[in-house]
Amino acid sequence: MTLITLPPGLIDALNWMQWVFFAYFICTNIIYLSLNFVSMFSIIQYNREHGSKFRLKNFAAYQPPVSILVPAHNEERTIVTSIQSLLRLDYPNFEIVVVNDGSTDSTLQKVIDAFGLVEFPEAYRKRLDTADVNRIYASPIYPGVRLVDKLNGGKADALNAGINAARYPLFCVVDADCVLQRDSLARVVQPFLEDASTVASGGVIRVVNGCKVRQGLLDEVGLSDKLLPLLQTVEYLRAFLFGRLGWSPLNALLIISGAFGVFYKERVIAAGGYRSDTVGEDMELVVRMHDRMREEKRPYRITFVPDPICWTEAPEDLRSLYNQRVRWQQGLAESLIPNWRLMFRSNGGVVGWIAYPFMVLFECIGPVIEVLGYLAVIVLGLAGELSAEAFFVFLFASVGLGVLLSVNAMLLEELSFHLYPRPMQQLKLFLVAVFENFGYRQLTAVFRLVGLGRWLAGLRGRARWGKVHRNPTWQHRGAAVSAEVVNPPSGPR
Amino acid sequence: MNFLTNADSRIVFAFWLGVGVVVMALLMMMVILIMRRVVENNDRNHLRAATFWRRVLAEAMHGLPASVPRLARGDLAGFVDVWNDLHDTLRDGDNPGMSRVAAEVGLEQKLYLALDHGGFHNRVMSIIAMGYLKSQTHFDKLARCLDDRSPIVSLSAARALMKIDPARAVEMVLPHIITRGDWSQSGVAQILQETDPAVVSRELGEVTLQANDGVASRLVRFLADVSPEEASPVIRRIFSTAHDDHLLATCLQVMTDREDLALVRPLLGHSRWHVRMHAATTVGRLGEHGDDRLLLPLLADEQWWVRYRAAQALTKLSFLAPADLQRIRGAQSDRFACDILDHVLAENAIGARA
Repeated sequence: MTLITLPPGLIDALNWMQWVFFAYFICTNIIYLSLNFVSMFSIIQYNREHGSKFRLKNFAAYQPPVSILVPAHNEERTIVTSIQSLLRLDYPNFEIVVVNDGSTDSTLQKVIDAFGLVEFPEAYRKRLDTADVNRIYASPIYPGVRLVDKLNGGKADALNAGINAARYPLFCVVDADCVLQRDSLARVVQPFLEDASTVASGGVIRVVNGCKVRQGLLDEVGLSDKLLPLLQTVEYLRAFLFGRLGWSPLNALLIISGAFGVFYKERVIAAGGYRSDTVGEDMELVVRMHDRMREEKRPYRITFVPDPICWTEAPEDLRSLYNQRVRWQQGLAESLIPNWRLMFRSNGGVVGWIAYPFMVLFECIGPVIEVLGYLAVIVLGLAGELSAEAFFVFLFASVGLGVLLSVNAMLLEELSFHLYPRPMQQLKLFLVAVFENFGYRQLTAVFRLVGLGRWLAGLRGRARWGKVHRNPTWQHRGAAVSAEVVNPPSGPR
Repeated sequence: MNFLTNADSRIVFAFWLGVGVVVMALLMMMVILIMRRVVENNDRNHLRAATFWRRVLAEAMHGLPASVPRLARGDLAGFVDVWNDLHDTLRDGDNPGMSRVAAEVGLEQKLYLALDHGGFHNRVMSIIAMGYLKSQTHFDKLARCLDDRSPIVSLSAARALMKIDPARAVEMVLPHIITRGDWSQSGVAQILQETDPAVVSRELGEVTLQANDGVASRLVRFLADVSPEEASPVIRRIFSTAHDDHLLATCLQVMTDREDLALVRPLLGHSRWHVRMHAATTVGRLGEHGDDRLLLPLLADEQWWVRYRAAQALTKLSFLAPADLQRIRGAQSDRFACDILDHVLAENAIGARA
């Protein structure tokens, strides 16, 4: 049955495009499967070398001190719990620098009251340009806690103010709404101890929905009963366990999540700090650091730690998911394009010759090709130019490859951390891996296309604070809250 | 399947691709479920063995006349985990009751076999257990593990050797401390701290003086941790010859002898800021009357950290009372000096730190 009639030229063009989509689809999956292969070796080796039972003591004198930066904007509901959980981190020497970025709620007062902060005449060094700092507070009760109160300037600006106030050579960025494990900081700092050329290190972000959290620390791992977080759980597994771990051994990691990452402060300052005119300031910094280090011909490593060290809440409603994905895609484009010199640089290495072009071709432009592919299938189908057999065969292959990639990620999870030990949990994840191909992937592709469109339309501004509807039942059972939160972590791309 | 007979080659390819990947995905899912069962069974057996042997070893530790059952091959990993755990809790790492159990179950021979045939984890745990066993029989075999590519294996072997025969092991281990850049500094520090300083400090001092500046800065820190007394003459020797800034800075950080202040004072005017900073901190720690005057110019240093450490050093000089510090603050005309003194005095007042 033919519902629309197309001119023969258009039909030829659409048929020709099908070949392009098909080749694109095969290339993407080959690269992902290759990354999966690298990840499998990395994760096995990592687990061998970092098994906890033969870990030697970490003497405080040999652990580099770390400044934990917590940027906050209208975080009155979670900020105190977050800082309390950070204070319980199992690490010998760290300070917490909370940066209140012009909150309009009672974030500032809540932190002052909870930690008995007093105004402090800090000899503040403005090494990175930021919006004006009003006051700095310190705590007589908690000697390692300070609060920088500044005018609103966005997340990147808040982080730059935190870097200015940080005392220690390494700084760790933590989103105010993230849940850590007690050993998270020790694990993410480990690459700096193992390789002196390490300039940045990030870790796996997992979905906290469905888990149990006690006093700000993860207590029990579980899966959400809701569909959207479940779909994102599989997506995060895929993105982090081979999307990032695959690039790390090749020193080609282009993203360290803004939710949790550690950086060598002087190198970040030398690179100019966070850019405040992008929504993807976390990725942009990492891409720029690659570019700078290669330009200066300095040996360096940007490393990814596969331990699950940071847990974040995935959006549970479509509107929040839309906002998140639009921002991520916009941030991706804003990070890659200004740093185009990294691509095919003579000393670009794997990052310049493979990772960067891959990100541009498959992650940045990917949604365009993906959505065009869907549209072409629909149009050809309506024009009677695509047989039902062909449609279902291509769908079968596409879903099969998608499921294979997800099951690969589940296998990596099982090989390493076994966080979902019950067979029912594994089956649930498998079903989700199948189900996500029918609607969810297409939907996120459209969201990403909108993000790309926003970037093309020049709708960029300073790194604002994203608005995501949170329903942290894992933390405060039954209490739905709507809060403006830190930019959602740069998750699966 | 008839539709494939006359179909476009793309459709045929896509169909078989789909079949292939779906079969692979299902196979991998089965592997995951099987692996889960295997891991669960192993964990259960491990836990059972560990619980059982923890009771036996704990009774033996406290001298109770427990009969020692046979150690089944499958229980070895659980036994070794408990053996290592319990030894970690012992102050001198030695207990006759546990040694008796080890002898009765033939632990030495079993560990020897695990060293050759066990997986990575069991191999490392066996090496650690051999160290606690303190048997000389396999000393040479363990010594060969020092050259293992894995830093975990080689570092564990170094620790075991130092437990078994420190006097003999120190000559083997120290060259590896110099050459193995992949050994964690915390791990090396732990090994050296567990060893009698009398055994290790002299040799460590000698290799520190012979090493290049990069390595020496690592070694001098270890030496100062093991024996500050032995470190002092080594530091003096380092200062007497030209060395790089990093090594000087490390020496300043670990210096504990007031006699060395004469070496430190000239460094307050060093061209590199991190040397000035560490010199200021050292003067604050060890300084004498009159040293406060040397710190004052650093309050206006171009580097924030030098100003900060100089201000902190002033507050740490025991002969300066709070009133003296206020007087110093009042006498400053430089804005940076005033700011940093206000900062440090406020920090001291509220007990904050950096």
